[in-house]
Amino acid sequence: MDLTPRTATEPGAQPPVRKRRWLPIVIVVGALLGGGVIVTQFLTSAIDYYCNVDEIGVRSGCDGERRMRVQGVVEQDSVKQADGGTTFILDFNKKTLQVAYSGDPGGVFQECIPIIAHGRMVDGVFESDRIEVKHSNQYVEKNATRIDESNKEAAACSVLQG
Amino acid sequence: MEHASFIFGSWGITAVSIGVYAIWVIRRGRELAKHATREEMPWT
Amino acid sequence: MAGQSGTGTSATRRLGILVIFLLATLALCGLWFSAEDVVQGSTVRIMYVHVPSIWTAYIAFGLTALCSGVYLSGKNRSLAWDRVAGASGEIGVLFVAVSLVTGSMWGRLTWGTYWVWDARLTSTAFLFITYVGYLAVRQLGGTHRQRARRSSVLALLAILEIPLVHFSVTLWRSLHQEATVANPNAKVELDGLMLFSLFLGLVAFTMLFAWLVLHRQRGMMLEDAFSDRGLDVAITARRNEAGA
Repeated sequence: MDLTPRTATEPGAQPPVRKRRWLPIVIVVGALLGGGVIVTQFLTSAIDYYCNVDEIGVRSGCDGERRMRVQGVVEQDSVKQADGGTTFILDFNKKTLQVAYSGDPGGVFQECIPIIAHGRMVDGVFESDRIEVKHSNQYVEKNATRIDESNKEAAACSVLQG
Repeated sequence: MEHASFIFGSWGITAVSIGVYAIWVIRRGRELAKHATREEMPWT
Repeated sequence: MAGQSGTGTSATRRLGILVIFLLATLALCGLWFSAEDVVQGSTVRIMYVHVPSIWTAYIAFGLTALCSGVYLSGKNRSLAWDRVAGASGEIGVLFVAVSLVTGSMWGRLTWGTYWVWDARLTSTAFLFITYVGYLAVRQLGGTHRQRARRSSVLALLAILEIPLVHFSVTLWRSLHQEATVANPNAKVELDGLMLFSLFLGLVAFTMLFAWLVLHRQRGMMLEDAFSDRGLDVAITARRNEAGA
């Protein structure tokens, strides 16, 4: 019995039907392109320096009027809303920064919560156009006792009030 | 419940996507098993 | 023919019933009985599906790598290992997708945005894309052994992304919080029923994963068998042709 591969020159032989699977090829190419886009987006967003409040004007990249991201905790009793904007003080490591945000911050924005503000320094004030609220990996049940405790903790979060 | 649409939405998306996949896996298995021999199904 | 018993056995049926019971209990605990968080309020309830989803994806991709390693290093190179790897990878992609979507919804409520190109989110999206590519590579054609060899190598490379994803929140300054359970300080800061609901979610999703893998790898075994049978039919036809 001859089981050698057929060739196209064999009389009466059908040309071999090669079933090319296009969809997986397209998906592989799409995945490669997608991976490239993801990395590019990450690198592009990383162009804005990520500074803590205490690094403003100290660390290289965290000075001048360049666009940056500033991380800190919203100072207690500092949030004020007027003319569609929000102003508050951001603190970190006993240093403070006045922030002016053009809008109403979303998420669980509140006093004593860590946030990241995107923007630039203008005349000693950080003018922000985007705010992202961080939340810790600590989860506390909301009930009467706990609220009292967390209020006490909140009272202790202030840098200005000591 | 505050933000109920987001909370139930996220649970719903989870349940529906996993549920649809699970049903597809079971139905595909049954369909294939209809044409399989005992030797091809060692778990039976 | 074996009939319509499908890919199930009495063991998988029992496991399936247990999974349904666990998921129903999770829904009750996560959506009803567990308390709201003092900062996030009800939003914390998304955590009970978001965290177990990414946990399951980690387990799934870990199993894919393990089985791929066993396939490549084993003497007999049984294709059963490759099928478990493939089934596990497929389920992992589903769970990481669920984790991305639910995480995005949770992010909208807590961070104030659906998406940021932050280290954790970016690395998770990259993980998703990588394993979509892995599944596509499995479908590129060739023999089962060719499929097993190329996808096993890819799986062993792709698993290196998991530590990157998990530790991205400590390696880079990230918007995403540090791990709640598997954190470097081994300190779980979750109150009472919140902690129970989260662990119940991890257990329920892990069992669900086991149930799905058992069924899917059997389905893949049948797919391979039918594909081999097609080859057998072609060889038989060729033999008949040669004998005529």
